[in-house]
Amino acid sequence: MNFDTRGFSELTRKATELMADTADVPIVLHSRLGEHHELTRAAREMVANIEALVRELRSFDASGAHDAGESDFVVS
Amino acid sequence: MYIPEADFEYLIRTLSDARSRATELAVSIGSRLGTEHRLAQLANSAAASIESTLRQVRNPAAEKLDSAIGLAEPIASPPMPVSFSGGAGLDAEHWLSAFVDELLVQARSAGGITFEGVERLLQHRKDEFLRDFLTARRMYRAYPRLFPEITNEARQAGTS
Repeated sequence: MNFDTRGFSELTRKATELMADTADVPIVLHSRLGEHHELTRAAREMVANIEALVRELRSFDASGAHDAGESDFVVS
Repeated sequence: MYIPEADFEYLIRTLSDARSRATELAVSIGSRLGTEHRLAQLANSAAASIESTLRQVRNPAAEKLDSAIGLAEPIASPPMPVSFSGGAGLDAEHWLSAFVDELLVQARSAGGITFEGVERLLQHRKDEFLRDFLTARRMYRAYPRLFPEITNEARQAGTS
């Protein structure tokens, strides 16, 4: 069974939307609580985690690693 | 410094929605690539950090930590009262626990608590519950093998 590349692009799109929709959370917390508040730091870490996911998803999607015969990830 | 009620509502709504979407993403990626794959782990980390941030925003005690000076230092906190969920014998994830937490935040805020505010919070909680429920149902329908306990229960109920 090969991965559905359209499905994977869709996952990348959803993750990108998630990143955009949460981008202002640390900004709001920073403006209300300050840079060093633990909530602001937690929100920054959260955004960094989402950004890392999006970056890897884009890279994975662009590399075509999910295409048949090109990757360890393909299962049969 | 404090977080106004409107910002609280916005943050909780945004993070609750993000948590559902990130969990759905993690399940989708895990089902395609396997849960051990780096992408699945990244997705799980993202979902976990959203969950963690949401918990911290919801925690009424966080509102009291409004002094940036004291935040870097460990704070000797007084003994916490028994939580509502613990006292009522509810799971910490139960919607009623979150609702009561939000009510307490509102009651302690500058504007105080009003019937309108409570109605708004309850409607928000109801919307969020339904959204999470629909997400869970979609996930179960799409990936039933990821929920063996439910599948087994359904099977047993069918045979008895």
